Amino acid sequence: MEQKRPNRAKLFSLRYLVYDFVKASAALPGMIWLRPRWRFESKAARKFIRGGALLIANHSGFFDPVNVMFAVWYRRHHFVCSREFFDSKARWWFERFMCIPIDRQNFNFGSLREITDELRNGALVSIFPEGHINDGSGDLSAFKSGPVLIALQGKVPIVPVYVRPKERFWNRVTFVIGEPIDLIARYGRRPPMSEIDAIAEELHRKEEALKQIAYQKRR
Amino acid sequence: MSRTEIIEKLKEILLAADDRNRDKVLACTEDSRLVADLGFSSVSMLYMVIAIEEEMNIRFDNVGASDFETLGNVVTYIEAKLK
Repeated sequence: MEQKRPNRAKLFSLRYLVYDFVKASAALPGMIWLRPRWRFESKAARKFIRGGALLIANHSGFFDPVNVMFAVWYRRHHFVCSREFFDSKARWWFERFMCIPIDRQNFNFGSLREITDELRNGALVSIFPEGHINDGSGDLSAFKSGPVLIALQGKVPIVPVYVRPKERFWNRVTFVIGEPIDLIARYGRRPPMSEIDAIAEELHRKEEALKQIAYQKRR
Repeated sequence: MSRTEIIEKLKEILLAADDRNRDKVLACTEDSRLVADLGFSSVSMLYMVIAIEEEMNIRFDNVGASDFETLGNVVTYIEAKLK
């Protein structure tokens, strides 16, 4: 039976004012520029993501957060981002866009709590498990195991998404949405660290499979 | 709870969390360094903290993974929290 997940996000709130305004204003120009195309791993992946979920995606460029927002356009995203961005002049924007800063050198427990609190309150948190922009060769870097622990602590499913960016300006962007992976349903409780590392590798393989779908020619 | 009892409890938690370093965990002392001697990563450090919070019913403040260099540092932190 599908687990009922809380979604306490309001349709309108002052907290989301800037986010919603920018998103609504950028929707049409973005659609024209990206001309996005969606593909789905399976029938189950076509379902709308409701309640708390951790979205993971490949990271090949600075534009990826925007791509990911278009991929799952019907939800507000809380991006997990490096604290260095919060130390810059753009801090105001990152705060309005509900980004959650983490210290990559010294991951603190406060950040973990902030992320899991958002997840448990029904938010969609998006994260790039490679931890940095990959080398641009098209190959995915190894995945960190932190997102697995975050999903387990937040008790939410992981939704893998692959973004095939535009290679030339006339190309379209392809989003491949994977089937949600419910670790709580699979394990019941937090599995040992060895298993968490294995799940991170499994997610990497899943992302590779989604990449194959993204590069398949349309029949 | 004495420091020795806390260390024993920590060993239990660490073994349940990851039994790949079983021998190292069983032989660890307060001077054992979490990263260099026990092979901890930032994620396994978080895992340990979550497990400690659940098992010992304490709450860690906003401390970072690199704030604990040795097992003794963790024991001191827990001891202070249990007081």
